[in-house]
Amino acid sequence: MKRSNDFVVGLTVLVGVVAIVAATLWVKQADLRNRHERATARFRDVGSVRVGASVVLRGVRAGRVERIELGRDGWVELTMALDPSVELPRAPVVLLNESSLFGEWQATVTEVSAVPRDEVVERQLAEARSAGGDAWPGATLPDIAQLTAVAGRIAGDVASVAGRFEVAFDDQAARELRGSIKNFATLSDALSQTVRRQSTNLDALSADLRLGMRRLAQSAETVQRVAERVDSSTATGEVRRIVDDIATAAQQLKETSDEVRAMSRQLTRSQGRLESVLTTTDSVMLKINAGQGSIGLLVNDPTLYRRSDSLVVDLRALVADFKANPKKYVNLRVF
Amino acid sequence: MIATIGRSFREGVEGVGRAGSFVAESAAASRDLRTWLPLAVAHARTLGVDSLPIALFIALFTGIVLALLASYSITGAVPLYFVGTLVEKTVTMELAPVLTGLALAGRVGANIAAELGTMRVTEQIDALETLAYDPYSYLVVPRVVAGTLMFPIIVGIAMIVGVGAGWISSVVLLDLSSADFVKGMRLFFTDFDVRYGLVKSASFGAAVTLIGCIHGMRASGGAQGVGQAATRAVVYSATMILVLDAFWAVVWLLGKSR
Repeated sequence: MKRSNDFVVGLTVLVGVVAIVAATLWVKQADLRNRHERATARFRDVGSVRVGASVVLRGVRAGRVERIELGRDGWVELTMALDPSVELPRAPVVLLNESSLFGEWQATVTEVSAVPRDEVVERQLAEARSAGGDAWPGATLPDIAQLTAVAGRIAGDVASVAGRFEVAFDDQAARELRGSIKNFATLSDALSQTVRRQSTNLDALSADLRLGMRRLAQSAETVQRVAERVDSSTATGEVRRIVDDIATAAQQLKETSDEVRAMSRQLTRSQGRLESVLTTTDSVMLKINAGQGSIGLLVNDPTLYRRSDSLVVDLRALVADFKANPKKYVNLRVF
Repeated sequence: MIATIGRSFREGVEGVGRAGSFVAESAAASRDLRTWLPLAVAHARTLGVDSLPIALFIALFTGIVLALLASYSITGAVPLYFVGTLVEKTVTMELAPVLTGLALAGRVGANIAAELGTMRVTEQIDALETLAYDPYSYLVVPRVVAGTLMFPIIVGIAMIVGVGAGWISSVVLLDLSSADFVKGMRLFFTDFDVRYGLVKSASFGAAVTLIGCIHGMRASGGAQGVGQAATRAVVYSATMILVLDAFWAVVWLLGKSR
């Protein structure tokens, strides 16, 4: 019985211990045979990554986080156990990020050229790279908690504003606000009427403008046509002909001008002659006025006028008599 | 009323004093290795191995129910593979140690109290003392040692059975693949979970056996006294398990989560 007890108890203890240890190692994914390859990455902060978190390469699980420890100069060194069959990028970097909304974090191994363009991430990687050594550069992407913290701050500000609004918005403020709304409604009515009136004016103005625009368009069309004509005229040589005609006209004008100039010279000479004639005439007239010569006497002596006048009277009597008695003065005989 | 308060306080202090004295006597007796070590194996079988079926039965159904309860609770936005996380954490850290401890408190505590109480009322313990045998070395230490060592073994196996039952029921009864359950189980697993459960269960084993021994050794008044001792042992053991559970949570979990 005693031996039986020893055996049963021993067996139970042995089975229990082995089962617990084996189950723990299996769940923990312990690497007892040391089959994995190790790689270390350097971070300033590893966020919420825990030992045992997945290491992902191109979206596929390629290992697990094996150790996290504080390093020198404020670095955190994260050691990963990677599947030896995994083909790593040539310039690997490690990004720590949340793999779900429920607090799971993972380490993503990626090519440096595939890192998302983010100033903070690039700065972290550059800093980790500048530290030198064999450790891969690493960066931590912002997690949901940080985003929600920002959202929380915004919500807090909104709540604060709402609180202040609540304090400021008492009964008096409500009455004033109601009055303001009423005034605003009145103002709105007046404004709408004004707008309606101005709308009519605006319509007329718009019509005028439309008409003006239409005319402008017509003018533009005319100009266009003229331009086209000019263009076509230029193309068919009409302008050249016009220019030739103008040249001919100018030549003729020049000849005319020469003729006019010659006429002017003749006129000058005629003027001289005319002045001479007028001088002569003037002296003649002076002599006439002075009563010199026959004409002078004729002009200045009234006797001649009177004798001539009596002569005219006599002639009129003679003519009248001749009309009354033609036979008296004319005796026409054929045979 | 004031006298009642004073009497209660005095009885409480006396109880603590007697328990302290009992623990001190047991610690002193534990140096007599030759006496208690051979006896401990027999008690390990009685208290530990023979308790395995009830512990595994409880763990089996706990795992099944917990998986179904978890899937019911987290259906919606939370991925279903968190069933694995919930089953692993809950069974390993809480349900396996506490439920097994409570079950063994009834079985082991009552057993010890009844056995030692019977020995006390039939004056067998007095006879041992008369023959200059230390009853603590013969009766108390082997039981306490056996209980303290075997409880973690029983609870450890119960953890495996409980998680396994949850795993199988998740695959069979729920729309959850085996890989997803394992993924969820590994997601937040640390070996601390197992250490926490095992250390806690060891403390439960020590408490249950010590309380059983205390009440058994103090039994008096015949069969009725033995019955009362067994009852008190079970009640105090169950209470002490819950107190210790809270104690470890405050001391260990609280310190770790900060």
